Amino acid sequence: MENSTQILTVSELTKEIRRTLEESFQQVTVVGEISNFKSHISGHWYFSLKDSSAVINCTMWKGFNQYVFFTPQDGMKIIVNGKLTVYPPRGSYQLDIRSMKPAGLGELQEAFEKLKKKLEAEGLFDEKFKKPVPVFPSKIGIVTAIDGAAFRDLVSVAKRRYPLVELVIAPARVQGSGAAESIVNSIKLLNKSGDIDVIIVGRGGGSIEDLWAFNEEVVARAIFKSRVPVISGVGHEVDFTIADYVADLRAPTPSVAMELATPDAMEIENYIKEFLLKSSRIIDEQIEEKNGDILSLLKSYGFRIPLKIVNKKSQQIDIIINRILQSIERFSLVHDKKISLLAKSMETYDIQRSLKRGFVLVKQNSKFVTRAAKFNKEKKASLKFYDGEVITR
Amino acid sequence: MAKKKTKSNFEQDLSRLEEISKKLEEDNLELEEAITIFEEGVKLSKSCLKNLREAELKITELKGELGKFLDDEE
Repeated sequence: MENSTQILTVSELTKEIRRTLEESFQQVTVVGEISNFKSHISGHWYFSLKDSSAVINCTMWKGFNQYVFFTPQDGMKIIVNGKLTVYPPRGSYQLDIRSMKPAGLGELQEAFEKLKKKLEAEGLFDEKFKKPVPVFPSKIGIVTAIDGAAFRDLVSVAKRRYPLVELVIAPARVQGSGAAESIVNSIKLLNKSGDIDVIIVGRGGGSIEDLWAFNEEVVARAIFKSRVPVISGVGHEVDFTIADYVADLRAPTPSVAMELATPDAMEIENYIKEFLLKSSRIIDEQIEEKNGDILSLLKSYGFRIPLKIVNKKSQQIDIIINRILQSIERFSLVHDKKISLLAKSMETYDIQRSLKRGFVLVKQNSKFVTRAAKFNKEKKASLKFYDGEVITR
Repeated sequence: MAKKKTKSNFEQDLSRLEEISKKLEEDNLELEEAITIFEEGVKLSKSCLKNLREAELKITELKGELGKFLDDEE
């Protein structure tokens, strides 16, 4: 290059520049603020890093950016690691980034606030879009890691509270690379299946980086678009994510999310028992009331009068019956006497006729002698004829 | 695509129970009718309690990367 007479072609110069730069900056770590961030349809990222007085173009290929747990946003301060490359056709140089992280937790917080403001302005958090969560779900869709603590909690709460329900899990990665897309995918799947009553989206506690997927715009929009109502249950009570704001219902933890999604079997049982108690009491009271009605009716004036009459009449009947009985008795007494008199006279009449024909009644010791063998010749006898009595010796 | 879902049998039974409860409490029913719906309520109660106590949680896994290929519908 000392030699000013040497003429280089553009390509030759660029080649030199490329060699120099790429060799000197094979591995650099740079801090800067993102601007003009673009995620190309191919999956590659293009953006600039800048500070107050300089700017540098950056690329991050799909193969590397899929391991970034957050989606970069303009204005976010990040620390990147990569190498410098030169692109001869354009005469430009750029940073080819292999890894990226927020410059501090404050960056994530800021990104969070920014996205929150943006989505809020778009109306994604509006109450009017909140869908009601059914009280008695048949199928609850779950978006979480199938091997995570959150899923175990969800299952045990569902078992305890409402075992009538069916849990349909659409497993998702809930942290690290690709988590946001995985969550979006599962929400879509559950919507597609058509018979899910409510979806729980969540995961257990962790650092802000661990929970970051739930602060991603794609997740927020998927929740917003879900036709099935979504309950969010991410981390612990103190953790608020963008997903929580968009969800139809926010639960502080996955367990509480399941509690909100299910009725309590114990409460239902108590309700049924109470129904049985209350309604049987109502029926009892009604029967009691009717009973009282009947009794008071019987005691009422209208009923008492006929009763009196009946009582009176029956008394009269009694008297009449008595009289009849008495007269029958008297009648039969008279008759009896007549009959016996008649019989006696008939008897007598019969003997007289026999005597008249010449028969004799023989008496000894004032007893009739009816057989010859019984006649005592030594004793007196009385002979009764039709016309008189003779005593013999 | 999301069709209006019909209520689960359990939910139907419970809401019928609620209806019966209200009727018994509020309406001046004839005793005979009251007893008829009360009997219905007792039957429902028994089946609901049975369902609750004998239910076993069902878990199914929805697999597939299908969602990845679902475009943003509509």
